[in-house]
Amino acid sequence: MTTRRQVLVGAGATLALGAVGMPLAAKAQGKKTVVLASMGPLTGNFDPTSHTTLGQGNFDKLIFSHLTRAPMEEGKTDVLEPDLALSWQIIDEHTLEFKLREGVKFHDGQDFSAADVKATYEYASQPDRPASSFYPGQVEVEVVDPLTVRIKTDKYGYPASTFWFVSSYLPILCAADIADPAKLQSRPNGTNSFKYVMTEGDRSTLEAFDGYYAGRPKIDEIVYAYVPDANTRVLGLMNGEYQIAERLEPEQYQSLLSNDTVAVRKGMSTENKYLHFRCNKAPFDDPRIRLAACHAIDREQILALMGDAGVASNCFVSPMKFGYTDIPNYPTYDPAESARLLEEAGFPGGKGLPQLEYITSIGFYPKTKEYGELIAAMLMEVGFDVQLTVLEPAAWEQAIYRGADGQGPGHMCDVGWMTGSPEPDLVLRPNWHSSAALINGVNDAEIDAALDKERATLDPAERMKVLAEETFPLLAAKVPSFSLFSAVVFHGAAKNLKGAYYYPNGPIDLTKADLV
Amino acid sequence: MLFAVDFFLRRLVQGLVIVVLVAMLIFTLLRVVPGDPVRIMLGPMVTAEMAEETAQKMGLRDPVPVQFIRYAAQVISGDFGHSFVRSAQGGSTGGSRGGDTFDASNRAPVMGLILTALPYSLLLAGLALGISLVISLPIGIVAGLFSGRWPDRLALYLSSLFVSLPNIWLALVLIFLVSVKGGLLPAIGYQNWTYAILPALVLAIELSPVFIRSASVAVSSNMMESYVPSGIIRGLSRPRMIVAHVLRNSMIPLLNVVGIQAIGLLLGSLFVIEYAFNYPGVGLLMINAVFQRDFPVIQAIAILACTVLVLVNILVDFAATTIDRRLQY
Repeated sequence: MTTRRQVLVGAGATLALGAVGMPLAAKAQGKKTVVLASMGPLTGNFDPTSHTTLGQGNFDKLIFSHLTRAPMEEGKTDVLEPDLALSWQIIDEHTLEFKLREGVKFHDGQDFSAADVKATYEYASQPDRPASSFYPGQVEVEVVDPLTVRIKTDKYGYPASTFWFVSSYLPILCAADIADPAKLQSRPNGTNSFKYVMTEGDRSTLEAFDGYYAGRPKIDEIVYAYVPDANTRVLGLMNGEYQIAERLEPEQYQSLLSNDTVAVRKGMSTENKYLHFRCNKAPFDDPRIRLAACHAIDREQILALMGDAGVASNCFVSPMKFGYTDIPNYPTYDPAESARLLEEAGFPGGKGLPQLEYITSIGFYPKTKEYGELIAAMLMEVGFDVQLTVLEPAAWEQAIYRGADGQGPGHMCDVGWMTGSPEPDLVLRPNWHSSAALINGVNDAEIDAALDKERATLDPAERMKVLAEETFPLLAAKVPSFSLFSAVVFHGAAKNLKGAYYYPNGPIDLTKADLV
Repeated sequence: MLFAVDFFLRRLVQGLVIVVLVAMLIFTLLRVVPGDPVRIMLGPMVTAEMAEETAQKMGLRDPVPVQFIRYAAQVISGDFGHSFVRSAQGGSTGGSRGGDTFDASNRAPVMGLILTALPYSLLLAGLALGISLVISLPIGIVAGLFSGRWPDRLALYLSSLFVSLPNIWLALVLIFLVSVKGGLLPAIGYQNWTYAILPALVLAIELSPVFIRSASVAVSSNMMESYVPSGIIRGLSRPRMIVAHVLRNSMIPLLNVVGIQAIGLLLGSLFVIEYAFNYPGVGLLMINAVFQRDFPVIQAIAILACTVLVLVNILVDFAATTIDRRLQY
């Protein structure tokens, strides 16, 4: 007779065996699946123009193609390669022409044509679309024939050349989807190598697109998983649950260098970290006080603290951006000059200055609190009275942007700015043109004129010269913000994952990747 | 019977007052601390005007008491509202805009999110409680039976060790040793029930000291009661005396500990452990909701957690009075 106790013992033993054996057996499948542990979540609205979130931008890049591709390799930031467009040229100041690839299909089976480019560009550039802040302005698109489009900006009064690099960043949607917003928002439908399957909680699944114009990718499936904690991402990578882990901490990068199963990668990003001064209120409405603060900051000490996570740069854009140059008059560490400027502005030794609040975050970028404390100490050394406010990301994000009255809390803010194409204007205009100046509120006619001039310069070589000789030196003389360093990003991946391409702004291209 | 009706009526009314007070506190605190949910809902680059317009439309600029009364009326009708940031498909954050501004119909109902996550948390909590009792009851009982001798000291040392281990540190170490190095158990996320074992072990280790000490103190104090030698003199064997009487009487304080302290501890630690293991339960939902200022989700989980604690408290007290009729609560 079988007793109740025997049944319980048997069941317990079966469960215990199952506990040890199941997880390992469950992985033994033929499908090549890459689980990508992402630090950024998805919004659930799959219209790429509906958001400006980093995580979903990276996700979009797996699904949607663009007219061009910008690999953004160091030292070759002006290179554009064909994607949905095979060639492109500036016709005149307000017209940019693209010749399109033939035989491309969307994931839902529809054919790609010039009508899709027209619908996408005209829709995405509308000022009320949230992602329009990533693009230079509104456009009209002329369909010359089914495989030729012309981006036209004459009606809106700015040069069409500003879309030259942005063509590598604006995801191409299907015209039929744009006509049906509910459909557009409910699932992503692109032409890239992976197509969307489903979302379950924080995991979204993509599968290889058989009809991809350059051939089906070797990876069968991508699971895009939101894993907010960096330690969890690394441990999941180490135990084989994930094949890619985004945004490792610098210390994690170091400790994984000697790991047998994980390959780590460090790459310069398109992001610079800035100390923004609130230029529309005292005392930082006086450029001399801003310069005094800059001269008080020893950036070498900050870089020593950042270790692998930061690289020295003396410019307002990252070295991965078009036009980057070392600005000759970029403020250097010079406490004597800082003291002189304070005295000239009427605040000798900082006497008479109000207490200044410096707002920074914790848990969003590496070591912001640590170098925030360092900067505060260095500023106090020359006489500034600084109070450091460290906020968690949600509170920090609320604090940094100016409110409806044009003002924001505090006097200084620590903010990074990462955009997805080599185009420098995507950094320059939102930050320092008075029409936006989202954080620092600077309103300076000279800066506006300099930014307008570089944007209106059509010839790339000439534009680079204007940036290097006029725009950047002027910004360095007035420092509405102080670029502290250029940020480095770290990724970890399973050693058997080969052929993945890591863009400096975050996305990962798995079109040519394979698990070997 | 009359006692039971009187007991439950009285205690449920008291419990309701506690839940309402906790709900008011959470509701007010969320609106006082910095962090505007509208920017998270609509994305960081949203214009200040649109953020303000949306906040006003959603009633987030109304006085807190007005907002609370509106929310309470909604909850009483059984509707915990929609998440500010989670989409109907389950995606986890805001930062997007549909037609104009915020569209509630596009966001997941809070109760749906909780009901999806709850089974995972129940599995984890049940497993943790089970493992913890299996570890701690034998140790605690033996320590109580041999009070002052080496089993008692061993129990004390073990409890001290377990209570000194920070759960987040233990979680990372166990993931590293058992999952990464040993390859014995999975650890991150959830694919099947085996993913709950390692986080449950961490929770169990955290719970065990309380159980070990309660069991050993209860058994030891009962062993010193006069009924033990009396029973043995009257012919009951020592094992029977222990099993049938000492252990039974020792269950009352243990029940209280399990019911109140352990459930409270479990609820708190569950949040941290689920986050560390990326385990998709109510705890992870809550932590992400806090990061994203998802007020409706935070409020609902806080209210439900408080309700569970109050109900467990009532049931434990009722069970204790059933075991020992002399007790009055």
